[in-house]
Amino acid sequence: MIELKDLTRGFNGLTAVDGITFDVEEGEIFGLLGPNGAGKTTTVRILCCLIRPSAGKAFVGGYEVGKDALKIREIVGLLPESPGLYGELSAYRNLEFYAKLYGMPKIKRGENIERFLKMLNLWRRRNDSVETFSKGMQQKLAIVRSMVHEPRVLFLDEPTAALAPESAKVVRDFILELKQERRTIFLCTHNLYEAERLCDRVAIINSKLIAVGSPSELERKFGPSRTEIHLERASKRIVDAIKRVKNVNGVEVAENRLLIDSEDPEVVNPVIVETIVKLGGKVRYVTRSANALEETYLKLVKESEA
Amino acid sequence: MRLDRVWEIAKKDMASIKKRKYVLYGLIGIPLIFAIFVPISTIYPITNSEGPFVQLPPFAQPGLPPKQAMVAGLANLTVLMFMFLPAIIPATIASYTFVGEKLNRQLEPLLATPTSDLELLIGKGLGAFVPAMAATVASFVGLVVVVDLLTFPLFGYLLLPNLISAVVMIVYAPLVCLLSVSWCIFISSKVSDVRASMQLGVIGIGPVLAFYFLFVGGIVSLEWRALVAFGLMLALASAGLFSLSKATFQREEILTKWK
Repeated sequence: MIELKDLTRGFNGLTAVDGITFDVEEGEIFGLLGPNGAGKTTTVRILCCLIRPSAGKAFVGGYEVGKDALKIREIVGLLPESPGLYGELSAYRNLEFYAKLYGMPKIKRGENIERFLKMLNLWRRRNDSVETFSKGMQQKLAIVRSMVHEPRVLFLDEPTAALAPESAKVVRDFILELKQERRTIFLCTHNLYEAERLCDRVAIINSKLIAVGSPSELERKFGPSRTEIHLERASKRIVDAIKRVKNVNGVEVAENRLLIDSEDPEVVNPVIVETIVKLGGKVRYVTRSANALEETYLKLVKESEA
Repeated sequence: MRLDRVWEIAKKDMASIKKRKYVLYGLIGIPLIFAIFVPISTIYPITNSEGPFVQLPPFAQPGLPPKQAMVAGLANLTVLMFMFLPAIIPATIASYTFVGEKLNRQLEPLLATPTSDLELLIGKGLGAFVPAMAATVASFVGLVVVVDLLTFPLFGYLLLPNLISAVVMIVYAPLVCLLSVSWCIFISSKVSDVRASMQLGVIGIGPVLAFYFLFVGGIVSLEWRALVAFGLMLALASAGLFSLSKATFQREEILTKWK
């Protein structure tokens, strides 16, 4: 659905996007991760045909960026970093305006506005002017605006950045619902928990492409292999025994929680659990480190800057 | 070009203007001053004066008795002043719809829609042009009524509308409005402050002001050659500035180069 081939874009001698190549399948939720200034927004702007690449090519829905700009804009929806709504107009009028620009017929327009506003709990406020909305409500309305014409590809730049946890959850559930409709979603985010939860695959960029793959693939390939084991009581004897297990690189203890670094967790973890049980320890639960993608991301970005 | 999209953009901008009370006050207040205050303060004292009108100013209309010549000349002056309206009003509106939207980051989602740069430019231009012209025309109707009420007892016929006012309203006012809108679009790419845009936008009044003072000073008389020459000059300036604003109003430029 989206294809980037050596995509490059410079501004005044600085290269914001440097020879990036990857593709995104139809119906996939694809995350673009990177530090500030890594070229995420520039990439999205190029793919939405707002700016042209300096070199390389990109295709969206089979149309070439730069050559078929109007066709591409018809099939994509964009949520930019800032909601950019018309505060003096009502929520309904904001959406109606955009739906008309996309040439939607009147009945379909009304149906979609109602459906999406209801999905994001904004229907009751449809006739209120947007300037009376909270930041979170404005962000949700901007998401509806990007969806109102039912685009095949949706570009979301930090969709939950301004949202309270409960609103962020509503938006994440909404995104997952869109996935059920086989829409392709391209998500720029700093929220690695969100990326891990929502994305089928992610790309990490820092002007250049650093890595691309599913979150678990990246964690396996590049991340520290950390396993968290919660015990009823973590004794010194158990910790020392684990440290002696082959391919265990280190053990950190925090109360009754063990953080274990190992070469190949899928092979090592059963041995560790067996060791604990043999020594009379009681395992409450075993999980992969909660911050696995974050650690992978930080490691990769640090390496790219070195 | 999709005219429905162009009109939708213009309609949205006009709806936004209605909700901005300071712009709305300007849109109503300034035309009211031009329609009522200006003729009453200039023509009424003369119609009530017994004279004598020994030395007439250069703008007095030739071929009439002194008092009537003075009043008819003043009526023409107030009509020429109507070119200021389509120069001032768009500066206020366009400052909000271009610079204001740029500052509020409302342009990016708009640029992501399948509208062409030209559709966007014309739509947003119309959003400033239509209310400015509507206010000018409504104000002119008010002026005609006020001037005729004041002057009918003196002339015994309706002084306005006359040929000059027809040229001003049908030819000059739309051209001045286009000139002002184009100028505002151009400066909106250079400034990042609504007030600065409004102040610079009023520079669009320059050609009108020059023509007005040339007439007041008697350097130009309202005969057909001067009218045609000024009309041509306005048309050329409007076309030139519109081309310039079209070159400025490109997606890429707006997102990467506009201040």
